[in-house]
Amino acid sequence: MTKLLDVQAISKYYVHKDGWMPGQRICALEPLSFSLERGETLAIMGETGSGKSTIAKLIAGAERASAGEIFLNGQAMSSMTDQQRCRHVRMIFQDSLRSLNPQITVGKQLCEPLIFNTQMSPQDQKQRVHEVLRKVGLLPDHYHFYPHMLASGQQQRVCIARAIVLEPQIVVADEAFVALDPSIRAQIINLILDLQEDMGISFIFVSHSAEIVKHVSDKILIMHRGKMIEFGTTRALINHPEEQLTKTLLHSEHKYKVPLHSTTKE
Amino acid sequence: MSAILDIRNLSIELETENGPVRVLDRFNLQLAEGEIHTLVGESGSGKSLLAKAILGFINPRWKITADRLWWRHYDLLALNAAQRRIVTGRDMAMIFQDPSSYLDPNDKVGAQLRESIPTGELSGVYLKRRVDRQTRAERLLHRVGIKDTADVMERYPHELSEGLAQKISIAMAIAHNPKLLIADEPTTAMEPSTRGQIYRLLAKLSAGQGMSILMITQDLTAVIPESQRISLIYCGQLMETGPTEEVMQKPYHPYTDAMLSMSLSDQDIAPKTRLPTLSGAIPTLQHMPIGCRLGPRCPYARRACIHQPALTKQQQVQFACHYPLHKDSEHD
Ligand SMILES: Nc1ncnc2c1ncn2[C@@H]1O[C@H](COP(=O)(O)OP(=O)(O)OP(=O)(O)O)[C@@H](O)[C@H]1O
Ligand code: SF4
Ligand SMILES: [Mg+2]
Repeated sequence: MTKLLDVQAISKYYVHKDGWMPGQRICALEPLSFSLERGETLAIMGETGSGKSTIAKLIAGAERASAGEIFLNGQAMSSMTDQQRCRHVRMIFQDSLRSLNPQITVGKQLCEPLIFNTQMSPQDQKQRVHEVLRKVGLLPDHYHFYPHMLASGQQQRVCIARAIVLEPQIVVADEAFVALDPSIRAQIINLILDLQEDMGISFIFVSHSAEIVKHVSDKILIMHRGKMIEFGTTRALINHPEEQLTKTLLHSEHKYKVPLHSTTKE
Repeated sequence: MSAILDIRNLSIELETENGPVRVLDRFNLQLAEGEIHTLVGESGSGKSLLAKAILGFINPRWKITADRLWWRHYDLLALNAAQRRIVTGRDMAMIFQDPSSYLDPNDKVGAQLRESIPTGELSGVYLKRRVDRQTRAERLLHRVGIKDTADVMERYPHELSEGLAQKISIAMAIAHNPKLLIADEPTTAMEPSTRGQIYRLLAKLSAGQGMSILMITQDLTAVIPESQRISLIYCGQLMETGPTEEVMQKPYHPYTDAMLSMSLSDQDIAPKTRLPTLSGAIPTLQHMPIGCRLGPRCPYARRACIHQPALTKQQQVQFACHYPLHKDSEHD
């Protein structure tokens, strides 16, 4: 069986033009390869500017690689139409709040991907959107809200809802947890775990949080200055990190040990 | 404890299409001089609104009532707008999550920093004042841990890393030596190492000059050890407040307990297991539950919970719950 995602020697250069001088090539990503199976979760970690977001954008098709190829179910992504790609890979951007349209209600924004990418009837669309709203911890009422009427954490949830409304095979998220409320973050993590179990969705996410990475991921990719310096299973990287940076990034600070008598019921 | 900031039963009422709603519902907060107090609450719980009420950035349409809203010896609600601005401007400062909202993108850091220094504190003729301003600006940068002052002052805000930008916004905020600094989620979007730097800096500033800090965060894991006290707020209601250690080690309130178990800092939890969390969603303003607002999401809720519980005091800790997780004097 073909791999869900097979990344082969992709790299990314930006050409930096300085007036009329010949452009200078800046390397954002040195050639790197890795692969991911169905239902697996990959965490990408690294310092600011190390290329994490570049990888995320290349996989989501928001940007094109300078060289190399990404295969999705064995098919080269460069040969797909935008619509094909959109159905399979969805992205939640780092500044996703700004990507919400302030003029359009939450419900309509969530219907949009369904209108453009499916043949669903308006009724089915509406039903799907209600389902998704509930899944991300919002209420049916929120269908008629405009983004500015929501608190910041709720806006973030709309963005996540928009990413999963098409039930894609891969969801790519760039720091999408940072702004979430703890109770909603825990719900979203549970939701992602559920979606993976039910539908075999793969999840690729960029995160600083050692706790979340350790809890959710199957594989971890460590970036340093545009280079992939370590890639392996989560267990391997926790137990036998080869790089000091890996150790540092995966070290979680425990300021307070959670008391064991915690009794919260489901 | 003698409180430098004393808030009792503060309510803020907003008009919505379904009539007035209390966004802050009889909220209490006491802050001692030189103390770091962390206010923890999820989004929309009214944290920023509380900060605005303290600073006096108030929309005239909001209805604000309180049994007490005192800052030092000032009854803030009794002051007129002009008096209030003077007190706030002199004694208080605030920093935000996004420091770039604070910095002018068109102006170099040095110029903005020099401008933030209160003119009243400079003396002498024009030229001396100018030199004086420069030296003070440098000293401010030193205080927030920036050594290469000449380089930083020549930069524009977009040329700063997020950590550096936040340090500069802190430098500007403390330029007039405020007695109270409100830090509204100052590190939310930052990497852990930068976040740590900013927290250490704030803790140092508080210890060094007796500045009180009201730290605002959504996340219990962001509470720093230097924070002597914490308060948990949900939908505008105070859930639990007290010394950080006590509240964290043995919470009385179901909300504190839930926030603790959701924080993922428990190493014993197996990978990929579902996390314990509060079910449901934070209610919208239009649909605030009556009584204890945690009710619909609380695993312990019973009939009595449709009445808002009064604050119960157990030694240093205060909580608002009809069915606390344990009774005091269970000495263990
Ligand atoms: N100017 C306003 N007009 C109407 N409603 C407002 C206004 N400002 C805030 N609110 C509402 O008041 C409630 C509390 O808002 P506030 O900004 O204080 O929350 P917060 O705790 O700071 O949340 P966050 O963690 O998302 O910053 C929210 O439901 C919000 O939608
Ligand atoms: S008062 Fe009732 S609903 Fe509120 S926290 Fe306590 S048990 Fe839960
Ligand atoms: Mg806020």
